[in-house]
Amino acid sequence: MNLARVRGTVVATLRSDKIEGAKWLLVEECDQRGAGKGEYLVALDMVNANRGQLVLLAQGSSCRWSFRTEDRPMDTLVVAIVDHIDQAGATVYKETGNG
Amino acid sequence: MVLARVKGTVVSTHKSPSMEGLRLLLLEKIDAATLKGKADYVVAIDSVGANAGEIVFYVTGSSARMTDTTKGKPSDATIIAIVDVIEKDGALMYEKSAGTEGGGRA
Repeated sequence: MNLARVRGTVVATLRSDKIEGAKWLLVEECDQRGAGKGEYLVALDMVNANRGQLVLLAQGSSCRWSFRTEDRPMDTLVVAIVDHIDQAGATVYKETGNG
Repeated sequence: MVLARVKGTVVSTHKSPSMEGLRLLLLEKIDAATLKGKADYVVAIDSVGANAGEIVFYVTGSSARMTDTTKGKPSDATIIAIVDVIEKDGALMYEKSAGTEGGGRA
């Protein structure tokens, strides 16, 4: 599971995944403090995440272990919105509500 | 899924029978912040009818076998969508129909 920040959305009408009502997010991979790494991915939104939020990605074949994505060509999902991260007893990230 | 631009086609006549009928495209991965190519190329199987110049996203690994085109085929990279719009930080980065690229128009 990797950390990423929601930076935007991607719209595509011509697709072969057959997932109805799919919302695609543009996410930037992040470190444990929420700092961006400059690497971007397109991810299917499972949790109604908003721009600016730090989220958890599920990648690879594990992405197909959900009702909406079973047997679908899907390799990156947003599966959780992060509230806070604790590293060695100290809070290194906290959701502020405004991204 | 990874964003990339279609740069060309790949043709092979001598190939595994399981690869027959599949359309191979040459993709260059792009940086979503600038929409510029990263000089990092990959060959992917097309399942949507993508053309040169279009921005697409593709899946890798076992998920690449999950389209109707690639079911049971030895694909580990399959294009599953042609991108119409990319919005980043509230700005329109890319719009296929308008042909705007890297503009940052709000």
